[in-house]
Amino acid sequence: MSETNSDKKVLLEVRDLRVEFRKGKRVVSAVAGLDFDIYEGETLGLVGESGCGKSTTGRALMLIEQPTAGTVKLGDVEITKLKGRALRAARRQMQMIFQDPISSLNPRRRVKDIVAEPIDCWRAAKGEEREKIIFDLLTKVGIDPRVYGNRYARQFSGGQCQRISIARSLAMKPQMLICDEMVSALDVSIQAQILNLLEDLKEEYGLTLLFIAHDLAVVKNVSDRVAVMYLGKFCEIGPSDVMYAEPAHPYTKFLLSAALEADPDSPRHDQVLEGEPPSPLDPPSGCRFRTRCPNATELCASTVPEMQTLSDGHQVACHFPLVPVRRSAAPAGADA
Amino acid sequence: MSDPQTPNNQIPEENAGMAARGSNKITFLPPDAPLLRVDNVSTTFHTPRGDVRAVSNISFEVRSNEVVGIVGESGSGKTVLSRTLMGLQPRHGVTVDGSITFAKRYVAERGDAIDGQVPENPLVGFEVARAKESDLRTVWGVEVAMVFQDPMTSLNPVQRVGNQISEGLRVRQGMSKADAKKRAIELLTQVGIPSPEERYRAYPNQLSGGMRQRVMIAIALACNPRLLLADEPTTGLDVTIQAQILNLLEDLQRRYHMSVLLVTHDLGVVATRTDRIVVMYGGRVVECGNTRDVFYGHRMPYTEALLKSTPKISNSSHSRLQTIPGRPPDILNLPPGCSFAPRCSYATEKCHQERPELEATENEGHFFACWNPLPARKTPPATRSDASEIGVDSVRD
Repeated sequence: MSETNSDKKVLLEVRDLRVEFRKGKRVVSAVAGLDFDIYEGETLGLVGESGCGKSTTGRALMLIEQPTAGTVKLGDVEITKLKGRALRAARRQMQMIFQDPISSLNPRRRVKDIVAEPIDCWRAAKGEEREKIIFDLLTKVGIDPRVYGNRYARQFSGGQCQRISIARSLAMKPQMLICDEMVSALDVSIQAQILNLLEDLKEEYGLTLLFIAHDLAVVKNVSDRVAVMYLGKFCEIGPSDVMYAEPAHPYTKFLLSAALEADPDSPRHDQVLEGEPPSPLDPPSGCRFRTRCPNATELCASTVPEMQTLSDGHQVACHFPLVPVRRSAAPAGADA
Repeated sequence: MSDPQTPNNQIPEENAGMAARGSNKITFLPPDAPLLRVDNVSTTFHTPRGDVRAVSNISFEVRSNEVVGIVGESGSGKTVLSRTLMGLQPRHGVTVDGSITFAKRYVAERGDAIDGQVPENPLVGFEVARAKESDLRTVWGVEVAMVFQDPMTSLNPVQRVGNQISEGLRVRQGMSKADAKKRAIELLTQVGIPSPEERYRAYPNQLSGGMRQRVMIAIALACNPRLLLADEPTTGLDVTIQAQILNLLEDLQRRYHMSVLLVTHDLGVVATRTDRIVVMYGGRVVECGNTRDVFYGHRMPYTEALLKSTPKISNSSHSRLQTIPGRPPDILNLPPGCSFAPRCSYATEKCHQERPELEATENEGHFFACWNPLPARKTPPATRSDASEIGVDSVRD
């Protein structure tokens, strides 16, 4: 999958990642075999409807959820092999920001202590140096440490809590941030502030981001590449501008046409995706989207579509992609 | 525009409302007649920390067959307003000032005709603000119904959904249990629930979020209300399900000639689905008008800022969003002047001191409250295919 973009350095390498949950004899495969790379300094957006496994993917990368199979490699470290202390040390390089900013902070702790927690945990700095790091971090996320540093987390609004979460996640200077629906609980005006802040900090700290969200417009605004997920599998992955302009998977097309633009003249798509995602307890055979896909044939029911490359970095898992497959891009030229 | 094929299509479009309302003798209001008139309404909560005016001096009208959007961020008072309009504010601890009149439809059987005649001014109707609960009950469901934001917490978890739909039919319309069941199944079909007979016996926890919201809509529609108040009906639903629900609401609105008041924080929801928009900020209306006038010819800086800070799919990646500095006002502690002044880039001394009143623009029904409004612009004509005109212009050049 990384035959293109060879000039970019892969930071996170994920191969055949699977997460299964067992309930009695029944198995839910929440993440059913994902292969992807995240390049250094890029933002990969991950979109999909609720229950498609995007949050589980994010958590599995951090090993908060133990993957059933597959490997996750951050730089040269294979995280999935690590345990205990070594795992904790590796996690310093990857931090997570959660959806609900208020419940992800302890309401009874002071802001500066929340931000200092990772530093204290790792005994990374003491005394004046520690104070200075906290001061700088809070200033950077737009919370004045002289005024607010001693206040409790419960005294802050959602947007401010999210700023504090960002400061906390940056305390150990991670290489990578996993943002799980970090702006979906915020008002539009606050959401824009947080997104801009994230872009600034990404630049400043040279961060690599996995940005998980359900809002396609938000994802488009922050991501270099976007992966679309349905029932635990990727449908399509590619550069965001290319993919939004020319979606190759029918599901991506439906998602885009269902998204609402704040513009009365935006085209109204009469074709709406019918039905709801099937239960992950009993996913459809073959292509998982086939039960809702208007183009589905017998082939879709019998064979799982493989990822195929359309153009540079644009891949789709569909037997009948909406964009023609570029033959010349295929490495093996065995075209019968 | 959209036409989700609802199986129950026997009712001809024009007579749909009449037929669906069964044997009741009903006089329809003339089209465009005001259905709901909100006049200078304020809702004040009496709290230990003092009186909180969550909604201040709101006035607007909803005409019949009209879809009006109420847009605002959290804390702007939109939910308090919609609950006030329904008469759902508690008796104690809350004061509702102003008047909310609801044009009552004339139903002979209910015996509320005035000498067998419909009142000439239909708004000599029902005063919600000062109504007793027993009177409100004659209006709820029958005249005005509400779809709440969270379908899980607004449905009764220990009652089968079928029961919850037919309850209104039995109590309000005096249907027999069997008739009510038949109608409930019909309603479930209309809101697009597959295998409605089975679902009739389901409990809410056995349904997905989208299905629950469909059940909520079925309950609201059971007694054919003329006004549907939908408070964030699609918040928390996935985009594809959101599109389904919005299309369903639009389809039902047309079919039953309902008016809909769509309360939302999402400008995308109201952009293509409303006739008019009311923008709220700090408990007040800051701008209102026809949807196109508000989107393309807004005069209030807040409306502009809100539109510009909304991410668009057409933006390229890493495009910077325009932000509104600061955060929404604390309703306990509103500034004396314009509530938006502390965050507004055009604010002057006057804005901080004096509160602007709603002012009319040259566009009909378009009002804004601002001392330093944006320049007036002409709203582009309402077509989605301007391509040919643009082509002609460029040829001339």
